[in-house]
Amino acid sequence: MEVKVMKNILEKNEIIAAENNALFSKHGIFVLNLLGSPGSGKTSLLERTIEDLKDELRLTVIEGDLFTSKDAERIARQGVPVVQINTCGGCHLDAGMVRGVINELNLNALDLLIIENVGNLVCPAEFNIGEDAKAVVLSITEGDDKPLKYPLIFKQAGIVIINKIDLLPYTNFDMAGAQEDIFNINPSIAIASVSCRSGEGLASWYKWLKQQVVTKKGLINRA
Amino acid sequence: MCTACKCGSQSDNERITIIIKGINTSSSAKTIEKTLLGMPGVMHVHIHAHDGQTIIDYNPARTSLDDITQRLESAGYHVQ
Repeated sequence: MEVKVMKNILEKNEIIAAENNALFSKHGIFVLNLLGSPGSGKTSLLERTIEDLKDELRLTVIEGDLFTSKDAERIARQGVPVVQINTCGGCHLDAGMVRGVINELNLNALDLLIIENVGNLVCPAEFNIGEDAKAVVLSITEGDDKPLKYPLIFKQAGIVIINKIDLLPYTNFDMAGAQEDIFNINPSIAIASVSCRSGEGLASWYKWLKQQVVTKKGLINRA
Repeated sequence: MCTACKCGSQSDNERITIIIKGINTSSSAKTIEKTLLGMPGVMHVHIHAHDGQTIIDYNPARTSLDDITQRLESAGYHVQ
């Protein structure tokens, strides 16, 4: 009974996720599901991304956390629209939660929607929420063994952002080994190595992100 | 499902043990591990090079056992 119920929940989530994606696509919006462990630097990456790209792209953020609006407040200070979803104990966002806040978004004036998921390398990989792509933030301080330990989330992602590279001299993180493991798990994934603190490497992340937005708009215009 | 919070389908993963014939060195074992790990539903692979015993954790909904076998055979290895 338990297995059947879970399968139904996943199937129902996929239906809602597809509906979410169809609505966003109708407005030509590229949607990114931003994933990573707690403390990997997802919100810091968002802050830098908004600061550097908000004059080029019309951005909105949905923030997902168990409790508090701390991250939404950080994003709000960057001057872009933000909506906070609190799961109140749930370990991931699901498509229904995102659908529940869609009416708070101005879909007619939006190029890029970034949904920062609950910090977790396990469960968010299972639940599509209406995104076009997933991005995983992996920080140096988490260790180079995490891709092999949590393969599904890396298999699902279009890009991995290896963050906090300014701390490499103080750790024994094997960058070449970690990248090899990531490519073995997902041969088509992109990798950007960055420091949100120093700004190093962010240009490659921005290039990937802007290309996704342009490609999405091109696909919609041709449809 | 996640065994901690009981969401998701990751407990639908299956573990199989097979014998791959024709592995001569640990480097060829590593090459095969990498090849299989790149398949969408394969989560973990470990090969004992000395006898070809191979443990594979995979999600059959994403990658079938036939897919795995075909990938190995196309690389020139026989699965027992």
